[in-house]
Amino acid sequence: MEIIEQIKTNKLVENQTEIQKICLHKLQSNPLPDPKSEHWRLSNKSKFSNFLEYPFNEKDTKFDIPFTKNAQSTIRLTIGKNSQIKFIEEDYSIKQLSQDELDKYIKEQIYCFDQNENWSNLLNLSLSCTKNILGLKINGSKIPPIEIFSHSSSNSLNAKTLVIFLEKNCDVELLQVNLGIENSSLSQSTYFYLEENSSLNHGVVSYGANRSNLLNSLNVIQQKNSEYNLGSLHFNFNYARFEISIKQSSGNAKTNIKGMQITKKDEQISTYTKIDFNGPNGFLDQINKSLADDKSHAIFEGSIIVPKIAQKTDASQLSRNLLLSNLAQIDTKPQLEIIADDVKCKHGATISQLNEEELFYMRSRGITLPEASKLQLSSYFQEIISFIPVSKDRWDLLDKLLNDN
Amino acid sequence: MQSKMKESDPILEVENLFASTDNLPILNGVSLTVYPGEIHAIMGRNGCGKSTLSKIIAGHPSYSITNGGIKYAGENINSLEPEERAQSGIFLGFQYPIEIPGVSNLEFLRVSTNARRKFLNKGELDTFDFEELVKEKLKLVKMDQAFLSRSVNEGFSGGEKKRNEILQMALLEPKIAILDETDSGLDIDALRIVASGIKKISNAQTGIILITHYQRLLDEIEPNYVHVMANGQIIKTGGSDLALELEKKGYEWTDNFVKET
Repeated sequence: MEIIEQIKTNKLVENQTEIQKICLHKLQSNPLPDPKSEHWRLSNKSKFSNFLEYPFNEKDTKFDIPFTKNAQSTIRLTIGKNSQIKFIEEDYSIKQLSQDELDKYIKEQIYCFDQNENWSNLLNLSLSCTKNILGLKINGSKIPPIEIFSHSSSNSLNAKTLVIFLEKNCDVELLQVNLGIENSSLSQSTYFYLEENSSLNHGVVSYGANRSNLLNSLNVIQQKNSEYNLGSLHFNFNYARFEISIKQSSGNAKTNIKGMQITKKDEQISTYTKIDFNGPNGFLDQINKSLADDKSHAIFEGSIIVPKIAQKTDASQLSRNLLLSNLAQIDTKPQLEIIADDVKCKHGATISQLNEEELFYMRSRGITLPEASKLQLSSYFQEIISFIPVSKDRWDLLDKLLNDN
Repeated sequence: MQSKMKESDPILEVENLFASTDNLPILNGVSLTVYPGEIHAIMGRNGCGKSTLSKIIAGHPSYSITNGGIKYAGENINSLEPEERAQSGIFLGFQYPIEIPGVSNLEFLRVSTNARRKFLNKGELDTFDFEELVKEKLKLVKMDQAFLSRSVNEGFSGGEKKRNEILQMALLEPKIAILDETDSGLDIDALRIVASGIKKISNAQTGIILITHYQRLLDEIEPNYVHVMANGQIIKTGGSDLALELEKKGYEWTDNFVKET
């Protein structure tokens, strides 16, 4: 793994920014995550090595967004492509964060990073050059839907970073699309800061192509009375990790998460979530679905942390999983760490196969087994897909999921 | 009347059928022949094998035939998949229709109907044409169009589920329909609607098997034959008066029959 040697010898990036210097310094002594740590123990070593095998590339190849625009009003951005962003309208404004604002915020985050839990963030920030970091500040009302694209380039490892501040009282719908190109690795890190009374409906759709890899980390800080809704979907990657960290910094905030990962062939896709309630009256409703076919492996590990200060927290985390093959594997571990004594917290996990009686019912009406399975899966997917904002209809995501091999 | 029916070939022939699930024998030699235009009623205690017989005819994968066989339109169908049986005209009305959350009833009905139409070499219907057809059929069971936009059977009352079964029967136009306790859980009005739907759908080319515990369905639809099942066998066959006799005597005598045999 040349990239690890480059980190060790500090020869990874020329003309390093201050952020890159800090992160590379943190990685130098321990350039790889501890394979025995809770976050990495199930990670497939050879696939992870494959992620790191591609040479790092700061430049993008030509990229055309493969979907028609849903509505004229939708704002479309591609990380690494848009140099000057400034939308100032009567009701709202979307501006780029200044370098100082960006550096200050990222440094604050790095200060709290753990070597294993945040290894993906550290790698991302070590690699992301100024051009590939998009920082936005959004305020106002009647903000049009936003789509932000991130992509890798063939035979290389690319790193993209997104930082968004939602100012007080603003309400945003944002779809983030991470596209893996054939034989490539993408490191994507995203940071959201939701000020008081702001609301974000966030969709994350990540899908790859043949032998593509993804490390996708999402870091959200919610101030009081903010609402963060996440609908996410990851599929078609040789190896993908989705690491979510959400902190309700002073409680009194709402978080809803509906996520799904689909694995086929010998793919491995995992989701790690950490929801930290740092104040009272926090709310969480989370469902994560995994669907594993062939010889693939899906992993979900979720933790909910409720310290003493987080009284009256109401949190629910459910992991629902479908195993479609005898050779597929699903690991799931929803867990609660509760210190506060006046809370309502529940968690659960189910692993099942397609419902035999439902299948027989459909077959007894002349519907073939593959068609009946598709109908059943479409209902399984629908709950998640309908939660992903912006463009979901145009994309025919459901068809893509049901028909992709 | 009966001799006229039997001028044609039987639709369904169940011949000395033995079947089991998880190595547990459930059917112990059932024989039953249904000709076009005939209505058969099968009665018997819970657990006597009535529902199992219906599921095995429809091809449920949890049951295996250990001896004997099932012929449909003269062909042995033991090895046919459930969907092949349904496409060729075998219909099972479920005792407990299955809820399929997230799958729209309209789409489910359209895919089913088109599968049957394809078998019959009729053109497949697009959504628009299908809606026209289904609107007509809804009238048979006095169902509101709102049922079409809901998920299959999800949140339906017992009566609505059973009416949805008869709607499916009307759309699929089967050659033989096995209705497993279609009358259970229905109030008097719903029973009449369902019975009237069945009568309108059935014709001289269709065979019907009604599995029931009660005389009240047979008051609405008079069967040509009544069979009594016990211990996985048909132990007595008679006319519609046999059902009346059962109503008076109950099923206790069938226990004695089982003990004697």
